[in-house]
Amino acid sequence: MDAVKILGKTLVASPERQLEADSDVEVVKRVQNGDVAAFDQLVTKYRGRVYGVIYNLTSNREDAADLTQDAFIKSFQSINRFQGQSSFFTWLYRIAVNSTLTHLRKNRLRTFFSFEKINEDDKLSSEVIAALTVDTAADHETFARELQEKLNEAMQKLSIRHRTVITLFEIDGLGHQEIAEIMNCSVGTVRSRLHYAKQLLQSELQPYIRR
Amino acid sequence: MNENTSRKTKVSLEDLLRLKRAEQPPAEFWAEFDRGLRTKQLAAIVEPRPWWAPFIRVGTRLARYQLPVGAMAVLAVTLLTVREYRPTTFASMEQAGPAEIASLTAPTAQSGKALATDLINISLAPAMSTAVSESVPVSVAVESRSIQPALNQSTALGSSSHVAMVSSELSSARYMADSLAAAHATNPELNQLLGQSLPGNDGNAIRSEPLAQINVPGESRRSRFLGGTAWLASASTGSSALQPNEQATRHLTERRLSESDVISRIDMDGSRLTVKF
Repeated sequence: MDAVKILGKTLVASPERQLEADSDVEVVKRVQNGDVAAFDQLVTKYRGRVYGVIYNLTSNREDAADLTQDAFIKSFQSINRFQGQSSFFTWLYRIAVNSTLTHLRKNRLRTFFSFEKINEDDKLSSEVIAALTVDTAADHETFARELQEKLNEAMQKLSIRHRTVITLFEIDGLGHQEIAEIMNCSVGTVRSRLHYAKQLLQSELQPYIRR
Repeated sequence: MNENTSRKTKVSLEDLLRLKRAEQPPAEFWAEFDRGLRTKQLAAIVEPRPWWAPFIRVGTRLARYQLPVGAMAVLAVTLLTVREYRPTTFASMEQAGPAEIASLTAPTAQSGKALATDLINISLAPAMSTAVSESVPVSVAVESRSIQPALNQSTALGSSSHVAMVSSELSSARYMADSLAAAHATNPELNQLLGQSLPGNDGNAIRSEPLAQINVPGESRRSRFLGGTAWLASASTGSSALQPNEQATRHLTERRLSESDVISRIDMDGSRLTVKF
């Protein structure tokens, strides 16, 4: 198990993540040896998460789809240069995030949102929406759409870096160390950005927070 | 039950953000996604990579060294420029032969300026070589009055002053060449006078003139003075003799030579050529 000691704390990769990385190594080796079809396994495994990260960064489903495809194509083209110093998952995320950041910087002035529908089967989201609409007579679906718009607005008010950190940590569930590797910065920077981003979001989403 | 109730009533920022996890595309989206990805993947396999792609890769790897390498390059260029600037100038001047310096001073032979240019070349070439090699101030036969103080100053200031001196001489010589050429072109009488004074009136005859062969500074000065005087005398009197006067040579002092200014004695005004003695 990989253990990284940073700022006096030992960060240990979760067993699930470690298992995942080990299984990826075999598939990556097959792709590197010319088994192009093996790359489909990696695509199927990670496309949802990669798409989710990019979608939450761009708030545009079409851009997110294109950027996800591009990230997979880039990783496919340069998979022979992957030396296994980090996990394939981290490497792929780094490609995806960097492509997205480049895209966002290029299209800074063009902001067009297109949202995915909130999955009603998701238990946690149903609970949250129910809690927020318990005192009101608002329709769940209408309220969910309004909340979704407010959430995306608040996210777009963050800078690109802060948005990336909050997306990777809160939405995708990555650890500080993994985010630091993906964003090529220190863990302290990740923590700092996370703290600042949360403060901003809290002030923006204050009406929806119930204590 | 109480825990579930409290869970439902409290909503934190983290809960709100986890709502975004539920924003997922429908299942049919992934079929379309896979098709698009397959197309792009095939295109990436078939499409030949551009020949400059490896350079970009190398450039990307070396990107971190851009700043130090750039700074070193600027520093090296600056040092080379500072180091090579002065030696290059003097080396080129010292290595340049009289003919090269003369060719720098004189424009290419043009029909109107041929005679004047030849005169300047003959007078400048030995003087330049003497000035550069011996670091001694030299007065040139066609120099203007302002050159002489610069020449005296150059002895004290060293060889760097020589460069400025030579350049001022060149500009004066060019000015004189232009004036003579203009006078030559506009004034037929002057043309006739010059033709009489210079036998043959061609470049070869001028080049064989003995004054051009003098290298010793003192002799050069003296001979140039006499040569210029003889030339002017012959121009005014119509005599074709160009030999220096031996007797006059002995009576010439250095002071008088340094004060001599042949050009200032020539006054070309319209159709007249006046020479003061």
